[in-house]
Amino acid sequence: QQQITVNIGSSHPEQNIWVYAMKNTFQPEVNRILEEGGNEYQVNWVESYAGTLYKFTDTREAVMDGIVDVGMVGTVWEGANMPLQNVTYFTPFATEDHRMIIEIFDDLSENLPELKNSWAENGMVHLSSLITDSYDIYATFPVSSMEDLQNRKLNAPGTSANWLRETGATPVDGALTTYYTNIQTGVTEGTLSFASGILPTRVYEVAPELTRVGIGSMYFGGIAANQSFFEGLPAPVQNAMREAAQATSIAHGDYVADLAARAIDEMQEAGLTIHELPEEEKEAWVNGLPNIVEPWLEQTGEAGEVVLKAYFDALRERGAEPLRAWDEGL
Amino acid sequence: MSDEDSGEFEEDRFVPAFSEAPVGAILGSAAAALSAVGTIAIGALMLLIVADVIGRNFLDAPVTGVSEIAARSVVAIVFLQVPAAILQRRLTRADFLVRRIETASPAAVSAIEAVFSVVGAIVFALILWASWPKLPESWATAEFFGVQGVWTIPTWPFRGITVLGCALAVMAALYRTTDEIRTIRSLP
Amino acid sequence: MTTLAFGFVLIGVLIALVLLGMQIAYALFGVAFVGIWMIRDNIDLAFRMLELTAYSGIADYLFATIPLFVLMGLLVSVSNVGRDTFEVAEDLLRRMICGLGVATVAANTIFAAVTGVSIASAAVFTRVAVPEMKRHGYRPSFSAGTVAGSSVLGMLIPPSLLLIIYGVLAEVSIGGMFIAGIIPGLMLAGGFVAMLISVTILFPGFVLEDPEGTRQRRLDRAQESMPLNVMVSKLIPIILLVILVLGGLYTGFFTPTEAGGVGAFGALVVALSRRSLNRKKLWQVMKQTGVISVSILLLLVAASFYSRMLAIAGLPNAIAGLVTESGFGPLGFLFFYALIILLMGMILDSTSILLIMVPIAAPIAQGMGIDLMHFGIVTVIAVEIGLLTPPFGISVFTVHNTLNDPSVSVEQIFGATLPFIAVMLAVLVIVALVPSTVTLFL
Ligand code: NA
Ligand code: NA
Repeated sequence: QQQITVNIGSSHPEQNIWVYAMKNTFQPEVNRILEEGGNEYQVNWVESYAGTLYKFTDTREAVMDGIVDVGMVGTVWEGANMPLQNVTYFTPFATEDHRMIIEIFDDLSENLPELKNSWAENGMVHLSSLITDSYDIYATFPVSSMEDLQNRKLNAPGTSANWLRETGATPVDGALTTYYTNIQTGVTEGTLSFASGILPTRVYEVAPELTRVGIGSMYFGGIAANQSFFEGLPAPVQNAMREAAQATSIAHGDYVADLAARAIDEMQEAGLTIHELPEEEKEAWVNGLPNIVEPWLEQTGEAGEVVLKAYFDALRERGAEPLRAWDEGL
Repeated sequence: MSDEDSGEFEEDRFVPAFSEAPVGAILGSAAAALSAVGTIAIGALMLLIVADVIGRNFLDAPVTGVSEIAARSVVAIVFLQVPAAILQRRLTRADFLVRRIETASPAAVSAIEAVFSVVGAIVFALILWASWPKLPESWATAEFFGVQGVWTIPTWPFRGITVLGCALAVMAALYRTTDEIRTIRSLP
Repeated sequence: MTTLAFGFVLIGVLIALVLLGMQIAYALFGVAFVGIWMIRDNIDLAFRMLELTAYSGIADYLFATIPLFVLMGLLVSVSNVGRDTFEVAEDLLRRMICGLGVATVAANTIFAAVTGVSIASAAVFTRVAVPEMKRHGYRPSFSAGTVAGSSVLGMLIPPSLLLIIYGVLAEVSIGGMFIAGIIPGLMLAGGFVAMLISVTILFPGFVLEDPEGTRQRRLDRAQESMPLNVMVSKLIPIILLVILVLGGLYTGFFTPTEAGGVGAFGALVVALSRRSLNRKKLWQVMKQTGVISVSILLLLVAASFYSRMLAIAGLPNAIAGLVTESGFGPLGFLFFYALIILLMGMILDSTSILLIMVPIAAPIAQGMGIDLMHFGIVTVIAVEIGLLTPPFGISVFTVHNTLNDPSVSVEQIFGATLPFIAVMLAVLVIVALVPSTVTLFL
């Protein structure tokens, strides 16, 4: 029997939605598959979860540089080095079905050369997709029309600031960890966020009005392996990891679904009220946005066009009906 | 108003006169210049935050990206200031043992200080060696932070500051070593 | 040798180097570099982690406010607002034993409601309180120790960076943590006052340079007290600053993090309006800010690199293993956990300890039926003690750096904070034994 040491880690703790399935599905599945496949190899896992080795800003470099062999990579924080993966953030109101996003990106990351190469150029092998559940508005006030957003201050960090353009609301920087105090102290009046992220940070205590807007589920990043590490593994171990990654994708989708459902239940018990933004208002919102995908297309060029087109084709193939055809004219 | 505490603000006392120590004077001036940029950065940081608070609350126009810009600036401030801090001997340490030894043998203390300064030079050389490849890389790939289409800032100036600050810190630490060795030689 | 044993050896080497007098940042960087290299048998990896840490280890808005709080402290000090406040405090507390020590604690308690970082309190009050205490016959080291000791209030009385980090890691309400911190924070402040008075009575030589002279002055009835209008005019600037920062925070104009920037700007306006600043003096103040900040921030970078090395050595996991094997009951576990944190506090910075310990310990605590808010306050008090304990006590270093007085050594300040550590330990034990001190208002 051959022992193989695998350093696995993340910038976020084990209970985090993007890490949970790594620890609770990927690792045990690899072990199980190797054991059932003749027990020829055994993986000795060295875990560095919860940011003990690097911060969330460094997830790409950590895997690329081999600080961990397998890690959670948040491409959402890699707008400069891996912009292609952020297509979902520039094309909001596409789909609320997060399992669909996982399926699409598991497929595209392996089969679309532009995406596969982007991982390879960064010295990584993509194993399994990570996503967020759908973004909605958690605020101190309900939103029944676009009028209600006028002159409101909402936490909307990074790319999500784009989603508030021309809505009359002011996007304010922040992170999951700052929303609570921001809203409590009145710095902001709410946030654009997702149920599975809001629950653990208890933002609903200070922002008890949830308005379902359906900005959609977003591709967050992937579980990836360091390329030279992965290529140096014996074929059976590589296959075990590939196979385990498929199971991990499914487990991740299930975990996020469970957590989002549980989050909504628990938050409602704690006094959260849920509203639905009327369909025509959603359309007014998305059609009122400027062409926010334009700068992204300028940055990514032809590869961006291919990825955007492939993504929207895949959405429609699976029956999704994006509220705005961001791929129009490509 | 009162001038009684002005003694604590001595003008660049770590920069020797050029005629006495040309290397030290050049090094000291370079460190002082770098540190002045860092000092300005602190003031700019304050104004940036105030602008954001006012813009957000009274003009519905927050300054986008303050938290990321502030985050990057704090690293820049460290590397801009560190060479001057080394020359000024302001790096934190527990020096009770050293001062005990000093009364017994000043030469021994200078020897210890020289060794520590060499360690400092090595440490900053390691950071320099680790960091410099990222500078041309970030230039070539036009690496930025921020959000495409909202605001972006190139990272190479920040990586450049790390490299420059470390390079000067290595020289500053080595200069401190030679300084200690000179002290040992001048002792009776 | 196992990786774990090697990890402990590296801690030993670090302590030895620090005790020998090596610049602490050099020691942390050097030991951690060699550690990562040896443990993973890969020098490239050590270089890459060093690069990541140098580039992003402290790239955080929270850390960016440290120089601003330092700047605020220097401006408050240079415009003599600090001196005025202490003249008033001295006058009001003239008859009280250790009046200025008590005033320092009181001022820190108020200032704690403005700042979220203990280092900021330490920097501000070093400039404000230490010169006044020295002027009134207090020992410089005792004065510095009082400032370092009472600076820990900044992290327990909301807003607080540590409470926020704990709330995030343990997934408990941050607002709840803020409320939970109030009573233990006031207990600490009260304990400090009681301790200062008793120490001054029992060991006057520890506190004062000329106990008899100070006693005479305290009992001198002939001394005129300050007229009310003078008192008011002396207090107006600090009151305005507190209103600016507190008011701004509680009306939501800015966040606790932004308070550093706004506070520094407010202090600048106060200083300019009092005509205590010309262009040259402003530049000197700014330069001073840079020099003080860099020594603190460089330590934080180095500490972050070092804690990553410890993680590679597997120390966090080993500690988790120890705990599960120990078979303690809830209370035994709580004290064992606090003890581990106290030990880690000697060598690591607060944030690193929380990052290493809370994810391991919070689930164990919850499993044992310990209330997570109670657990959090115990954690934060224990972590805060680490700000004062040698060899790595960042509050003490901050005071020492800001003071920059060759006659006051680091170890003298460490010595002077011992009574404060004793009070904190007492409060820690009380809070651990009586959960209602935390949960009363929840
Ligand atoms: Na506070
Ligand atoms: Na300590």
